[in-house]
Amino acid sequence: MLKNSLLAFALCGIVAAGTCMAHAKLQSSSPANNAHLTEAPKTLTLQFSEAAQLAVLKLVRDGKEVPVPLDKSAKAGQSFTLTLPALSPGNYTVQWSAVAADDGHVTKGSFVFSIGA
Amino acid sequence: MEISGWDVAAVFAKAVTYAATLGAAGAVFFAVYCGVLLRDPQRGLIRRLIGILVAIAAATSILRILLLAGSMSGEMAGMFDSSFASMILGAGEGRASGVRIVGLALILFALSKNPVYRGPATAGAIVAATSFAWVGHIHGLVPNTAPSLLLCLHLLCGAFWLGALPPLLIIAAGANQPQIAAAAARFGKLALRVVAVLLAAGLSLLLMLIGSAAQFWSSDYGRMMAIKLLAIAALLGLAAWNKLVLTPRLLRGDPRAVGLFRRSVLAEMSVGALILLTTAAFTTFTGPP
Repeated sequence: MLKNSLLAFALCGIVAAGTCMAHAKLQSSSPANNAHLTEAPKTLTLQFSEAAQLAVLKLVRDGKEVPVPLDKSAKAGQSFTLTLPALSPGNYTVQWSAVAADDGHVTKGSFVFSIGA
Repeated sequence: MEISGWDVAAVFAKAVTYAATLGAAGAVFFAVYCGVLLRDPQRGLIRRLIGILVAIAAATSILRILLLAGSMSGEMAGMFDSSFASMILGAGEGRASGVRIVGLALILFALSKNPVYRGPATAGAIVAATSFAWVGHIHGLVPNTAPSLLLCLHLLCGAFWLGALPPLLIIAAGANQPQIAAAAARFGKLALRVVAVLLAAGLSLLLMLIGSAAQFWSSDYGRMMAIKLLAIAALLGLAAWNKLVLTPRLLRGDPRAVGLFRRSVLAEMSVGALILLTTAAFTTFTGPP
């Protein structure tokens, strides 16, 4: 009886664990990494390898953060498109962090793009 | 992925959670399996050890979530940002931590001297040890029933082996030589089979995750796994020495064997800590290729 109970406990763990996923990696972005643009983009898109929640997104130009509205309560997804404010020419860095939807693994990264004068 | 001080702190918290959870679970398994050989002072010390490890495991499970939240934002304020915490808790880490806390709570039944509570404590040990299987890279495999089962076996065997070391040290420090010899011999008998299952499950999982030898050496995940495998080889060497050389000397009454056994168990604990730290690192910073 005890052995069966113990086995049931372990199996519950196995079955319940069946739907989780692992690290969400940034597969692509628009603007792409190291892109040189002639016009300021109106949106910023991030495409992940798996469903994730975008937790942090910082857009930095010359050490100063450019505010970009981010809805932290948005549902998990593989793709996020954010509306950008009017951007002036310069070099930009995008810093992001995301949480994989099923296992909570945090991934972070950054990429750069520039807008020509 | 850029690694910050937050990430390093989160990895250490994860390693301590592994050590404390598997340590508490393993101490329960040891008390059940070798309990008949224990005398009151050792029994009391092992119960106290279990209580301390449960408290540490519960605290670091919570601390790790705070550190992950801090890591996401890169700032102290992020640790207490409820939106970050709810993202982490809403994902697999929250479920794993919840299951672990339930298991740890059941393990506290082991603090009672009444043998009727051995069953719930053992069930708690199984639940807590396998809680780590609720998250992780194996769930990127399809189907993942077999990998999940293998990981649970790997975790339970790891808890049995590594979790027995502190109780063995307690016995080696306080009991007389015949008692130490009997405990070492009894533990060693089952440990042989447990280690075989641990290795078989672990290697099977590695093959499923990595796929080929070429990918093993060309990926960060594989290279960090290599450190873990080297440490396991060292641990196996120490365990073999304990079983084949020291335990027979203990049983023969060799007076030098007790001190050597104590140092050997300490060495195994150190290597075990390295294994858990490496595991925490490669499961956080990398993923299978």
